[in-house]
Amino acid sequence: MSRVDLLAGIRIVDLSMGWAGPLATRHLADMGAEILKVESCQRADWWRGWETSQAWVDDDMAEKAVPFNTVNRNKLDITLDLTREEGVDLLKRLVAQADAVIENFSGGVLPKLGLDYGVLKAVNPELIMVSMPAFGSTGAWKDYRAYGSTVEQASGLPHLHGRSEDPPVMLHVAYGDPVAGVNGAAALLIALRHKKRTGQGQYIDLSQPQCLFPLGAHGIIEQSVTGEAPARLGNRHASFAPHGVFPCTVGPGTGGQAPGEDQWISIQVFNEAQWQALQRLAAPALDDFGDTADRLANVDALESALSAWTASHNREALMQLLQQEGVPAGAVRGANELVHDRHLQSRRFWQTLDRAFVGPMPHPSVAYREGAAPYPLQAPAPTLGQHNQQILTDLLGLGTSELHQLAEQGVIGEKPIIQG
Amino acid sequence: MSEAPKPLDGISIIDVSGTVGTAYCAKLFADHGATVINVEPPGGHPTRQLAPFIANASHPEASAMHAWLSTNKSSVVLDLQQLEAQRALQDQISSAQLLLMETGEKACTGHPCFDPDQLRQTNKDLVVMSINWFGSDGPYRDYVGSDATVQSLAGMIRGIGPVEGPPLLPTGYQAQIVGGLTAFVGAMTQVLAQELGNKAGLTWLETSILESNLCFTEVGAVATHKLDRLPPRMGVNRFPPTYPLGIFPCRDGWLGVTALTPSQWQAFCALLGMDEEVRNPDYATAQGRLQDSRRIDRIIADKVRDRSAEELFHRGQAMRVPLAPVPTMEQLFDVDQYVERGAFGQVVPPQGQAFQAPTTPFRLFTTPSHPNGRVSALGADNKTLLSTHPEVSP
Repeated sequence: MSRVDLLAGIRIVDLSMGWAGPLATRHLADMGAEILKVESCQRADWWRGWETSQAWVDDDMAEKAVPFNTVNRNKLDITLDLTREEGVDLLKRLVAQADAVIENFSGGVLPKLGLDYGVLKAVNPELIMVSMPAFGSTGAWKDYRAYGSTVEQASGLPHLHGRSEDPPVMLHVAYGDPVAGVNGAAALLIALRHKKRTGQGQYIDLSQPQCLFPLGAHGIIEQSVTGEAPARLGNRHASFAPHGVFPCTVGPGTGGQAPGEDQWISIQVFNEAQWQALQRLAAPALDDFGDTADRLANVDALESALSAWTASHNREALMQLLQQEGVPAGAVRGANELVHDRHLQSRRFWQTLDRAFVGPMPHPSVAYREGAAPYPLQAPAPTLGQHNQQILTDLLGLGTSELHQLAEQGVIGEKPIIQG
Repeated sequence: MSEAPKPLDGISIIDVSGTVGTAYCAKLFADHGATVINVEPPGGHPTRQLAPFIANASHPEASAMHAWLSTNKSSVVLDLQQLEAQRALQDQISSAQLLLMETGEKACTGHPCFDPDQLRQTNKDLVVMSINWFGSDGPYRDYVGSDATVQSLAGMIRGIGPVEGPPLLPTGYQAQIVGGLTAFVGAMTQVLAQELGNKAGLTWLETSILESNLCFTEVGAVATHKLDRLPPRMGVNRFPPTYPLGIFPCRDGWLGVTALTPSQWQAFCALLGMDEEVRNPDYATAQGRLQDSRRIDRIIADKVRDRSAEELFHRGQAMRVPLAPVPTMEQLFDVDQYVERGAFGQVVPPQGQAFQAPTTPFRLFTTPSHPNGRVSALGADNKTLLSTHPEVSP
């Protein structure tokens, strides 16, 4: 498979950890940019593990974490202890040769290390720097910390979900992370384009809760336009019925997965043609219901009748049946089914890369493609410090004795160090 | 004072489909200085049908969602059934860098406006980005898409909601926004690649909204793909392995709680005076705490009920615990952090009152975005943009 070189010639120093920042650089790595991921043995990417111990180190668990290995493919990895002068100096030398730096430390961390934008810009006047601490790098909350869950909470989005009797409902363990990550890639690409034309770098400040505002735009705008937030209707819709998630019979999942009892299908009807198709397929179960106004007025009875019908069907067969007649319907998949999904399999969405300490591992392709095949992936996530020698020798011109000295001093290394 | 430079100045984009996906993708270009033209059919783009609606405005200018998606863009109306309209579109495409549409390349073969060979003749370096629900290949390619359908198939909703079900759906147009955002990254990459000299010739890209939304579930998918079955859904706001995690009522609003690492758990217990819990060795790990989540939930709820969410948020953050207020839609516009950062801006629709809507989530300091602002009415730019084709102007 040929290498993707759309962004060949772009070099990015990646100080980010966790999900959001590394996902941003994964997009660029997949398109051919060179990503130099900087960790340290003392402070490895926390997505390698957050409940660490010496046993965790000895068992090489830092190399086996699925989250880390999923978002860091196609990157090079160097360890530099940034609490030491030697580490800081080497980082500056890397930055001097880079187009951009990206980081998602909590506010205040980089200035403490002597590595804020002003310092790095002095090293490289054309530098782009993307800062994506949780709440952005300005404002009263700039030093506050957050996970993707905190970001979702602070965005107000949970007030748009669930039933009126529920507390505000979250959608995910870390909903904010992937959305911030894709936004980070977008911001970086815009700045790279400006740099290409003008030679001018700049500072970029990304706020992760603000990245979720466009996803909640319907609620935010309704509040502004009408003075009221949308009613919390659970799975129902204010203008359409049926609109919800309905039970299905216990049966085989997709791709030969074992049957489970938690079988559901989402069904929505947005127009009369879809309603008539559903009514015809379910006949006579839905014969008592009329136009949209009638269905909305009798939505309890409608959902009961529809649930009774769907409950006698296998979700896969029912999805196909409904979709063949033009009714929007989707089987509710579990995460464990996605790699086996026949559509994604057919589209070769999952690619396999062999990773040290792990073996063959499926990887999602990027969601955009040219032609029928996805962009080929090249390399699995790097092991800790895997490219120390390559980067320090080829890029910075260090000799063997200097590498030995850095290793002896603990500035570089290939194993996490548990600190007391 | 001269206006700040626009980073995407000189890029010209045509959106012929006007779905939420294409419109949001184009919005990110437009807000950063690209020229975006909505080429709409006589009835207008599909986004004009979308709620919420503006009081005292009538179709096709009533959709506030369309207005927000359409700031900084022009609107022309072309009935592409007409030969002259096809020629007018061809003229626009000849000078564009990017064409946004829903239909994929294969389905456009032989199309009077969008046949790939014809597009290549019209503009040899054009980038075409198709944004659609499932992509042009695969068993679901002809499925009728919707946000809920995609979210169901992407494994997003299975874990949301009450134990007994049904799983709860996200509201609004979230899947499509994520699709449009992802497509922006794909399209912008191509535009940049051309300017870097890494790519030439017509490129037809396609973004699947389903695959875009797998960004939420890909890690879980890889982690669990060898499992026959998943653990049962654990209830509202319960997402393993993180615990405590949730949203609790306080006397002045809602408090969002997350404590993942041992130090966060210890600080959280100190904040709330949970002395017994912090000493319990079974609660030393998130997984251990999760086993007893109902009990711990009750304790947290009791501890925070009569306290101020705002105060707990700031005190917790000072102790390095990632707490957050959970503002309602009404409160959101008054949150200091968001006000200070200009997170909302005014949209001025052609009819009815102006309203507030989200601005760009990231700020480029040298070349800031120009989000929101005025919205062109349907066909408002026919006269200026189609001046060489007077026969198609209204």
